Amino acid sequence: MDTEKSSSNIVRVEGVRKVYHDNGVPVDALRGINLTVSPGDFSVIAGPSGSGKTTLLNIVGTLDKPTEGKVFLDGEDIASKTRRQLADIRLRKIGFVFQAYNLNPVLSALENVEFTMMLRGVEAAERKRKGLALLEELGIGELAHKRPNEMSGGQQQRVAIARAISNDPRLVLADEPTANLDSETAVRLLELMERLNHHDGITFVFSSHDPQVIGRAHRLLILKDGQIATDKIVQ
Amino acid sequence: MIGVIALVLTDAISIGMMQQMLTNQIGADAGYIQIHRKGFQTDPSLKNSISNASTVKAAISKDAASCKTSERLRTFGLVSSAYNSSGVSIVGIVPDDEKDVTTIHKYVVKGSYLRDNPDEIIMSTSTADKLRLELGDKVVIMASRVDGSVGSEACRVVGLFETYDSGFDQTHVYIPLTTAQDMLGAPGRISEFVVNPVNPERTETVARRLEADLPAGFEVLTFKQMLPILVMQLRLYDQTIYIFYAIIAIALIFGIVNTMLMAVIERTHELGVDMAIGMSNRRIFRMILTEAFYLGIIGTAAGLAVSLAVYVPLSRSGWDLAMFSESLNSIGAGTIIYPVLKATTLINTIVIIPLAAVAGAVYPALRAVKLQPVETIRMS
Ligand SMILES: Nc1ncnc2c1ncn2[C@@H]1O[C@H](COP(=O)(O)OP(=O)(O)OP(=O)(O)O)[C@@H](O)[C@H]1O
Ligand SMILES: [Mg+2]
Repeated sequence: MDTEKSSSNIVRVEGVRKVYHDNGVPVDALRGINLTVSPGDFSVIAGPSGSGKTTLLNIVGTLDKPTEGKVFLDGEDIASKTRRQLADIRLRKIGFVFQAYNLNPVLSALENVEFTMMLRGVEAAERKRKGLALLEELGIGELAHKRPNEMSGGQQQRVAIARAISNDPRLVLADEPTANLDSETAVRLLELMERLNHHDGITFVFSSHDPQVIGRAHRLLILKDGQIATDKIVQ
Repeated sequence: MIGVIALVLTDAISIGMMQQMLTNQIGADAGYIQIHRKGFQTDPSLKNSISNASTVKAAISKDAASCKTSERLRTFGLVSSAYNSSGVSIVGIVPDDEKDVTTIHKYVVKGSYLRDNPDEIIMSTSTADKLRLELGDKVVIMASRVDGSVGSEACRVVGLFETYDSGFDQTHVYIPLTTAQDMLGAPGRISEFVVNPVNPERTETVARRLEADLPAGFEVLTFKQMLPILVMQLRLYDQTIYIFYAIIAIALIFGIVNTMLMAVIERTHELGVDMAIGMSNRRIFRMILTEAFYLGIIGTAAGLAVSLAVYVPLSRSGWDLAMFSESLNSIGAGTIIYPVLKATTLINTIVIIPLAAVAGAVYPALRAVKLQPVETIRMS
């Protein structure tokens, strides 16, 4: 457990609990999580269904609030932020990749990638240049003007990754990014993420069930019943 | 869009109808300016007629170049045939002068207009029917003379008219001015002078000028004073139209609330994703209002296009409301309505509709902003 470099942690989670209320019945989704993520990490969160993977990623991504405990991003307590500041943090610091890709169906691949840059106020020419370069880098340059429904799942997920990294985030969070893909495509996508991690130093935290995906992570976190059962460096 | 069409066309038709009522009445009988002896307006009897007509003529002659005038002597009397009699206003006119200021000659549907034979009379078809008269028949007209005795005259029906206004038709007959003066024992007397400025916009100016030039004892009235109810109706209409705008705007706001709410609900997922990847509430809010604004603009443009497509031909040919002609005739509008589209109607529409659209989008936008990205993404 010597992954802690406390001064430069991107994420620090302290004693996080999350209780959902399912028709009045309390459900303990997370039961005391402590965790840090350092720059350059390539971590996977594994664990059985219902163990709290999605809940944890949503809380780290500021999409959800812990019932108890604290989350720090770049040393800042997110509990003290307004909704607007959180939106800005998500826009600038975090890239999201969702299991269901979640691209905007009426926008082309390029427009989907440009969208996040547009929200940040990047000017049109620069958006286009960078968007095309990213799609090229991810091997789908020729699909720039296609809409999501004209693309395969793997291609859509590449667009989603391009969108996630378009604002040069400190951290990319991916909840089961390969769950809808066949294993060959899943492995290729993972190689891509690994390359982005290795070459561009982008920090990834993703969740997965898939042993092939889990096997490629540099750090393995296993959740069980809302608690971290294992946290180890694999490499 | 439907709202726009409804608004523009109803407005144009109503304004057209009102203005027609006004110009009809001005055109057929009233004229733009009338000069009477003071008191005639409240008691239009012979005793309130003008005996010193030359004073008035002198005042009018200053505007001779820019105005058309005519003189009338009118009184209340009886028209009788062998079958029946009818109480009417007997109006003595100078046929050629009257042609210049009013349109009664145009409404003659049978026979001819007065031709300066002393014993001619024209009346409406409805009066003729009531008295069972045909063209060429003789009638007797009777009225009190200036000295209090009863004067009468036998006249021959030479023409029958039918105006837009059945009430007017039933109560007016025309005879030559000199015949009227003789019968009433009132040589040289005039009840009213009608003065029509060639340019109607100058009505007020000319009226003020006449008022200043005439000695005391005369009254100068413009159509606004002579037809106060109609003018008031027009003004009232100008005000009520705003209520109409408000109703349309409210209907529109509800329409937009509905449409935009559907749009928000349909896109709940996309909006949730947009928020998750960092789109701020403020931006989402603005985006939805902007969409509604464009929707409003497109709707207005489409609505105006359709309205104009209907309006332009209709304003030329008029809209023949023969099926409602009974009621329209009784209010004096005529059966063919020529809609009038005012610039203010257009401007109001162009301004109000898109604003209403934006107003209607506020609630859906608030709903959108309340979305929780975690929940919407989980739904996938
Ligand atoms: N909105 C919610 N309301 C009630 N209970 C919830 C809600 N979201 C999650 N849970 C519960 O919290 C627990 C953790 O859920 P979570 O989705 O984080 O698990 P997971 O590890 O991502 O599972 P999976 O592998 O199936 O995606 C589960 O028991 C789940 O039923
Ligand atoms: Mg999950």
